[in-house]
Amino acid sequence: MAERVSNQSLLTWFLQRFSGLFLAFFLFTHIDVHHFLHREGLIDFAVVNQRLGGSFWWKLYYLLFVPFCVFHALNGIWAILADYRPSGGFTVTTKIVFWVIGILLIFIGAMTLINLFAVGV
Amino acid sequence: MAFKGFLKNAYIDTNLNKNVGTFAYLFHRITGIGLVVYLIMHTYVLSSAISGHQDFNKRMGLVQNPFFAFLEILLVAGVFFHMLNGLRISICDFFGWSRAHKVFFWIELVLFVAIMIITVILQLPKMQSGYYPSI
Repeated sequence: MAERVSNQSLLTWFLQRFSGLFLAFFLFTHIDVHHFLHREGLIDFAVVNQRLGGSFWWKLYYLLFVPFCVFHALNGIWAILADYRPSGGFTVTTKIVFWVIGILLIFIGAMTLINLFAVGV
Repeated sequence: MAFKGFLKNAYIDTNLNKNVGTFAYLFHRITGIGLVVYLIMHTYVLSSAISGHQDFNKRMGLVQNPFFAFLEILLVAGVFFHMLNGLRISICDFFGWSRAHKVFFWIELVLFVAIMIITVILQLPKMQSGYYPSI
């Protein structure tokens, strides 16, 4: 007999799928552009700055990419832990820790991007 | 505590159902955990941009050599297995094609092998003579 799941679990399940489909597109282009299609010389600040600094679409792409990535990562780890029926106390503690890590990662990611976008450095 | 015997349970789970679905499930989890670890390392390396472009160049220089070019192959393997398997799960779920999930797994595997062959061909020059010789 299937257990009823809470609305929150259903929402995060759906968001995991949704962010996953987005990430499939994001990662495919990200890896192609930054790992495969870049064929000459070392990647340094100037290269990244030139690539991202001038384009509105690259900026929007990366500012969306980071939160999607962080959500998918932490929610994925939580889904694995939830499979093993953790106790109430563990659940609350983990969720608080994950929220803190998530917000921190998104903040650091956004700061990094803003610095990489900077014009005329 | 529910986490007692975590590894033992995982071992029993995978041994009770020896089919491609279980294999895909296990690898989806392993690659998922690996990618989260990579995400944190990636953030660490790139966040040096916050303290200026000299720091960024220095730290980026550390990870652009033949050894990391080899590790990049493992990264791409993890990303594309997780991506293709995630798409397989989504397609089977949303379109109600769960009964054909094994067929989709073999399609996934063919695509994965093709992507990995391309990856190795692209990474080989980086692994042999320094990083990115001009072509």
